[in-house]
Amino acid sequence: MRTTAWPSTRVAVAIVATLFTSAAPAVAQQPTTDLNEAIERALKAASAKVAPTIVKIETAGGAEVIGGGKKGGPPGPIIRKGTGPTTGLIVSADGYVISSSFNFANKPTEIFITVPGRQRYVAKVVAHDQTRMLTLLKIDAHDLPVPVPFPKKDIQVGQWAISLGRTLDINIDRPPSMSIGIVSATNRIWGKAIQTDAKTSPVNYGGPLVAIDGRVLGVIVPASNRAEGETAGVEVYDGGIGFAIPLEDINRVLPRLKEGKDLKRGLLGINPQGADAYNLPPTIGAIQPDSAAARAGLAIGDKIIEVTVGGETKKVPNYSTLQHILGPLYEGDEISLKVLRGDQEREFKNIKLMGTVTAYVAAFLGVLPMRDDPGPGVVVRYVYPNSPAAAAGIQEGDRIMKLAPANVPALSPIPNRAALLTTMQRLTPGTEIKIELKRKDGDKIETVTTKLVPMPDTLPERLPLPSSAGKALEGQPKPKDPFPPGKDPFPPKGPGFFTIHTLQPDDKKDDKPKIETGFLTRTNEALGREYWLYIPDNYDPNVSHGLLVWFHPAGQSKDGEKMMKTFRDFAEDHHFIIMGPKSNNNDGWVASETELVMHDVKTVLGQYTIDRSRVVAHGMAKGGEMASYVAFNARDVFRGVAIVGSPLGTAPKDNVANQPLSFFIAVGDKDPLLKEVLESRDLLLEKRFPVIYREMKDSGKEYFDLKTFTDFLAWLDSLDRV
Amino acid sequence: MLTDPPGAFFPQLRTAMLTRTIWVGIVALLALLPAPAVGHAADPLVDVAQKANKKLVKLFGAGGFSRLNNYATGIIVSPQGHIITVASQILDTPDLVVHLYDGTRLQAQVLVTERELDIALLKVKSPGKKFEDPLDEPLEYFDFLAAAKRPPAEVGDWVIALSNTFEIALRDEPLSVQRGVIAAYTKMAGRRGVFEFPYTGDVYIVDAITNNPGAAGGALLNRKGELIGIIGRELKNTLSETWMNYAIPVTGKAEVVQRVLLKDMNGNIVKDKDGKEVYEEKTVTVTMAQFVELGMQGKYKPIEGKTTIGGIGGYHGILFVPNILERTPAYIEDVVPGSPADKAGLRPDDLVSFIDGEPVISINAFHDYIKKRTRAGTVIRLEVRRGEVLETVELTLEAHPATSPSAPAPAPPKQ
Repeated sequence: MRTTAWPSTRVAVAIVATLFTSAAPAVAQQPTTDLNEAIERALKAASAKVAPTIVKIETAGGAEVIGGGKKGGPPGPIIRKGTGPTTGLIVSADGYVISSSFNFANKPTEIFITVPGRQRYVAKVVAHDQTRMLTLLKIDAHDLPVPVPFPKKDIQVGQWAISLGRTLDINIDRPPSMSIGIVSATNRIWGKAIQTDAKTSPVNYGGPLVAIDGRVLGVIVPASNRAEGETAGVEVYDGGIGFAIPLEDINRVLPRLKEGKDLKRGLLGINPQGADAYNLPPTIGAIQPDSAAARAGLAIGDKIIEVTVGGETKKVPNYSTLQHILGPLYEGDEISLKVLRGDQEREFKNIKLMGTVTAYVAAFLGVLPMRDDPGPGVVVRYVYPNSPAAAAGIQEGDRIMKLAPANVPALSPIPNRAALLTTMQRLTPGTEIKIELKRKDGDKIETVTTKLVPMPDTLPERLPLPSSAGKALEGQPKPKDPFPPGKDPFPPKGPGFFTIHTLQPDDKKDDKPKIETGFLTRTNEALGREYWLYIPDNYDPNVSHGLLVWFHPAGQSKDGEKMMKTFRDFAEDHHFIIMGPKSNNNDGWVASETELVMHDVKTVLGQYTIDRSRVVAHGMAKGGEMASYVAFNARDVFRGVAIVGSPLGTAPKDNVANQPLSFFIAVGDKDPLLKEVLESRDLLLEKRFPVIYREMKDSGKEYFDLKTFTDFLAWLDSLDRV
Repeated sequence: MLTDPPGAFFPQLRTAMLTRTIWVGIVALLALLPAPAVGHAADPLVDVAQKANKKLVKLFGAGGFSRLNNYATGIIVSPQGHIITVASQILDTPDLVVHLYDGTRLQAQVLVTERELDIALLKVKSPGKKFEDPLDEPLEYFDFLAAAKRPPAEVGDWVIALSNTFEIALRDEPLSVQRGVIAAYTKMAGRRGVFEFPYTGDVYIVDAITNNPGAAGGALLNRKGELIGIIGRELKNTLSETWMNYAIPVTGKAEVVQRVLLKDMNGNIVKDKDGKEVYEEKTVTVTMAQFVELGMQGKYKPIEGKTTIGGIGGYHGILFVPNILERTPAYIEDVVPGSPADKAGLRPDDLVSFIDGEPVISINAFHDYIKKRTRAGTVIRLEVRRGEVLETVELTLEAHPATSPSAPAPAPPKQ
């Protein structure tokens, strides 16, 4: 076995060198006869070179299953934790071993490490790297062999990659288990991981991904770009898409981990404006309170044009680029930003990223605005009792003309409801504001002052009608098609993409889209999907409508007409459109259906006049889990989540100002999932989301009782409260 | 892709090739090697796959409902049409049919199966003939006994797997060929649903996805085309909770502990002084080669009456902490004075971590091991964690004392 590192950085050269040296003794006996044999020998030599640094990890105690969104555990599907040993890689001669955090996700009480050719040691957890999902362990051993890292800058797509693990063979003195493939990509998972098609699974998580010259590319971990946590990505094990954290990156942060400090992701604390992460330069849409961005003095509306990390300056054409640059960074890392504020360039130097951000809390004035009023100003539809608005003497029918924090000399005009909502999003609870009002009776202009409070969990006592001035489209362009031609991410595949069954043959010739009302069923033959849609008979394109997206419980995909009947009166009076996508499989929803569902939702958004502040995901049981999952993953669209008898389908993300979400959670007091639902509610409250919670008496897994239903309708119609 | 004009393929192909400069490098290198290398470097796997396909059959039998497949693969091991395959439910039918490589359909019947090896031996017959009759035309076959004499393959060896995975091949269509390496050669803790995997010997874990319907009974070959294993069934490994791609080696063997009647030299049953039969424990070893050889001669007798030792296992005298979780760590609360545990010096707060080298993940796992693998007189080696070090101790287990809580004496019948 060779222990020296190959000085060459060229992969091909390294292979050639390996082939020559390892083949040499064999050639003397018999001539090399084929290429396969030469590769075989190179693979074994590479494995043998790293094998002494690959340790076996055994644990005792801990949970049997992990995941499933249980409190304290990682979100996602339930995973049964195997009983076998797992794998680790020695990273320093004085007894430090790195491994995948997955191997300890069940929180074992005891950890033992066996080093090849040596004894078994008691191991202690030193620290976790929470962004790369690695765990550093320590054993009382010295003079251990250490692997040679493959330089990160030289890793090329297409080069051999061998994944090695210690799970399968209990005998540590035999070769580790081997799977072979190539490097599929570099800089994956926001720049943190190498991707390979060698098989990766619990059999080798924590083990090394090795180049053909025996140098270590990285440490194998489960990973996903859609989820975080130690179990994210396990579901695609052996799936041809595996990940490894570059060993060079690990070695760089090793001194910090050795100090026993957990490493967290470095957060800037901003959210972008709009949902397009690829085509527009990143403009700050929201800043988390007390975040790195807030401390540095960044402002909403700043356009980020350059980022400097570690002396390297990069242009930032879009938000995705920014995510890739910030993704690998840790808490405490410093960056510099160049932003465009108005037409002025400004520089923010040495912004220190933070590990956690304070939850954003929405500010509350206490009014429901009148919808579809072209302005100027916004008519007050309802004033919440005991609210700041009530305290200031604002009354129904008054028109809010201008608004600003009290310490700003000039009041900014509020042209319409949308402007009122965005202005309020920029204010924080506790702020004193001035409001210029045009009183209902007479055109008297008055300025009142009040202090904003945190968004409460109260519902309006009544909902005055009308809720709309009925002039949504007056003087405004038609509702925008979310997918203008050429930008549709799911372009129609041939004819028959959408068949509207209720259309008469004559209608098809009509160029103008005729507004269909009533209960409609739409099928998407290309994707094999179907959804129903209820458009109230009094639909008027000049009145903006809320959109309620119903996710049916498992096995009840045919409940469309029942739901439609339940909501018909409310939908007519309060202007709501109801739609119900159907799961692909009758057994329930899977997360991967999100994109397809969102395609249907966006189609409806494009066809009707929809009030974007009242788009709600609603579901029961499994459908409720899906509703919350979809809403958290399409926050540019949804403003409310209403779930009955179901915990959240995902760990809640942070509450952000420009993409607010309100929750209505109902559960029967005899529902077997009551505990999980309560835990979900608490998680949301921790993140400071506004939550209305209702426990229904003498109810198991049932839909709303009448009282709760009434509250639900009030909640639906007051989502645009400010 | 199908609708793309042919020209559209070429730019992609070129890019793909550029990224494989490594390959080019190796090929270029080999071209420089002495002449013999060049002659064989073309692609020996092509030849291997073609030849092997003629020695394998597609197998159709019982099943075809509720996710049980009615198809599998088989390996011809004699010119007279003996075939080996995995002992699965598809064999439970009188209407067993095989398709040869050229599309010929032949009736087949099961001669014998061995659960401990998870294998079955079949025989085909020519149309209109009996199973005992010779075939009209001899078949190409793998010499199983010769294969079983070769040393086992190593981790990292290239392997070729041929099977009718997903029933993709019908009649004369060739079987699917997959390439991979030996990922591991080791024992496997497998389970199929709630059933434990019967085979306890070493298996080849393969770095290729072979755990799919229809692949069971397929051939695992080395790069020279030599038979090295029989592709196994769809199984999950309890060590990692992942699906396993494995093959039972041609060198495989099963060791079974049997409880048999004690006989004297003349073969007469020995009785004790009360006139009762006496049993002894005997380890029976059976190899794949024996199964195939004797099976073809009609002389193979499947292992019967397998019993695990004991019932309650040997007595150790360890009292654990309350076992409240599925994975409560095996912390010692106390030891019974004078018991094997006491004699070995075990103390309260010791954590039993390994037994005979196997990890003890919980109290349940410890009890399970004692019950299944030990009895009075068995010597077990425990590694216990005491503070920050692991201590190794040996315990000679004893018979359970009458008052032992784990072996309660039967209550006297009530008058």
